Amino acid sequence: MRKLYLLIIVSMVILIMSVSVFSQTITLQVWDVFDPVTSPDARAREELFKQYEEENPGIKIEHNVIVYADLHDKAVVSGAAGSGPDILHMLGEWIPEFSMMGIIEDVTDKVNSWEDKQYFPDSTWDVAFYNGHCYGIPSIASPRVLLYRKDYFDSVGITNAPTTWDEMKEDAKKLTRDTTGDGKTDVYGFAFCSSSDAIRGPQEFLPFLWQTGAEWVIKENEIWKPGFTIDQAQEVFQLYYDLVHTLNVCPPGSIGWGYLEMDNAFVVGQTAMCHNGSWMQHYEENAGEIFKNWGGAKMPANENSATYFEVKVEGIGKFSKNKEEAWKLLTWLLAKDQMAKHTAGDNLPSRTDVISLPQFQEDTFKTPFLEAISDGKPYPKLPMAESNKLMMNELQNVLYQKKTPEQAAQDLLKGLEDILISINE
Amino acid sequence: MATIQRIRKTIYVYKYFVIIFILIGGLMLYPLIDGFYLSLYQKNLMYPAKEKFLLFGNFKKLFFDDPMFWLVFKNSLIFTVASVGFEYLLGLSSALLLNSKHVPMKNFFRGIVLLPWIVPIAVNSLNWKWMLLPEYGYINIVLKVLGFGNLARGWLTDLKTVFPTVILVNVWRSFPFFTVVILAALTLIPKDLFEAAQIDGANRWQTFRHITFPGIKGISFVIITLHIVWTFSNFDVIYLLTGGGPLHYTEVLPTYLYQQGFHFFKIGYACSIGVFIFLFLVVTIGFYFTKISSIQEAK
Repeated sequence: MRKLYLLIIVSMVILIMSVSVFSQTITLQVWDVFDPVTSPDARAREELFKQYEEENPGIKIEHNVIVYADLHDKAVVSGAAGSGPDILHMLGEWIPEFSMMGIIEDVTDKVNSWEDKQYFPDSTWDVAFYNGHCYGIPSIASPRVLLYRKDYFDSVGITNAPTTWDEMKEDAKKLTRDTTGDGKTDVYGFAFCSSSDAIRGPQEFLPFLWQTGAEWVIKENEIWKPGFTIDQAQEVFQLYYDLVHTLNVCPPGSIGWGYLEMDNAFVVGQTAMCHNGSWMQHYEENAGEIFKNWGGAKMPANENSATYFEVKVEGIGKFSKNKEEAWKLLTWLLAKDQMAKHTAGDNLPSRTDVISLPQFQEDTFKTPFLEAISDGKPYPKLPMAESNKLMMNELQNVLYQKKTPEQAAQDLLKGLEDILISINE
Repeated sequence: MATIQRIRKTIYVYKYFVIIFILIGGLMLYPLIDGFYLSLYQKNLMYPAKEKFLLFGNFKKLFFDDPMFWLVFKNSLIFTVASVGFEYLLGLSSALLLNSKHVPMKNFFRGIVLLPWIVPIAVNSLNWKWMLLPEYGYINIVLKVLGFGNLARGWLTDLKTVFPTVILVNVWRSFPFFTVVILAALTLIPKDLFEAAQIDGANRWQTFRHITFPGIKGISFVIITLHIVWTFSNFDVIYLLTGGGPLHYTEVLPTYLYQQGFHFFKIGYACSIGVFIFLFLVVTIGFYFTKISSIQEAK
């Protein structure tokens, strides 16, 4: 009897395995951050996946929604184990490290022979390329702007958004006040990210550095070197210090904030200004009338104007077993009609033939983002994980008053030099 | 014939262990041996061609060239000792209360006390993170309502409070395990011993010292040992609450290992940290066992 049971179990296992081997269904795993619960663009993307499945019987799309920090780590871990998704959504700054690790597919030939390549600006292809090879298609390209509450500005008599660091500090001071009459400050002028694990923190720090006329790194004779002086870094640290300690325009306990805390503080009206991206538009549904009071402007300048130009890239996993089908899905998803649907809400599309459509050009919320593209700079093209951590650690040292801005600037420069030694080796 | 039968019987018994041994070997032994192996190499996932054999080079760097290691090691020790200590005290106190005949609705409270332990760690940690927010966190709101608004602060962003707060969250999550186990041990102590002590005029402290504690000493030793191992190698609570920050104030060896391995891709160096954690625990627990055994033998 026991032998009969064993025979039945083994037969069932063989049957199940043979069905899966001979089945015509190909499952494509897509890893991205687009959550249909919170984002209208993500819901549109889900609908497009369903449409693709209907138009392509035999293809099943398994969509995994993972937040950015975890998406990075999951891609690294699975890649180290020789597995991973078919399609991977990436921040542009991940391209150098993922290509060096060999976990994303080189699609240079595919891209060069793709007829739609011409519709993506060179500045976005620059991000998708590393060392002459292309690792994906840019899907979203959006600069950061100064997001602010127009109604708060009106209530304190500020007519225009600040255009310089000094104006920003002055306006933040005026905007920090008690609005309820209970004697306690409940609106703060400015907020920023400084969590040591934040992706957003370095994306805010770097534009401030660029605005001093500096670069994070420069390449001379194929050797990476720091692109800033101690004075330039000190100026940036001093700005952060002034906002928190000298002017007291940041919410208490905001040292160490990540993007969730910062975005939420702006949404609930606790802060009047922050640097932010076009995704904030997905709060329109929930924010209601308050959303109409949100305005955007180019980031205030110092020696020059600069902002972070974020390009997100969708690539094919190196260990995908269905690369041709994945490429087919990717090029379909990022074709003009489809991109217009899944970037209509809270993202800016990378295609010029999509961004020129009236739905983007006439959307007043998107206007400052479109105007800021000319000031946009992408991340430096080298692995940034260690230097991001260094940047945020030194910033926290200043904010927690463990170091002066000058000491932090010196240590930042020294620390970056040490990191670049191993990168240059 | 008898020998053949005995052999058949042995095989019959041990064949059921084969699968377990294969699983243990695959899931535990292989990663352990691989971790030891990788710790001997300079291996960075970004530079696969630059892999080289260092022998103990990673360990030399860990102990002598990495100032962060000693800070992180100190944090791990403090986190472990404080967490296990408070978990035991709280677990013991709650077990004694739940075993007391004066407490009403005992069965209800015995179920409630398990809740922190049943809730998944990720849910637990993220809930605490939200409750501890400076402006909108429940903890600060309650403090303000009760008139203790001056105590409200950024519990996870204030350098003075972040480490104690993380320890508190870990203690809250883990003490129910101590409660349940000690309570089970308390119920096994013969009731007539307490009656005899009462007749002899022993007070509560004497009863606890001479009857209760000896009755739970053995099991206490086991669960303290287990929790030292679990807490020293605990990653998720701290990673989800603070990520090891701010400024490494809550960085412990497991979070440091994770950062080196999965953020900086220095797999060889990360494995050397893992090997250190393993060996430290083996030596510490071995010393602990030896000490306890020699005390028991002396008695």
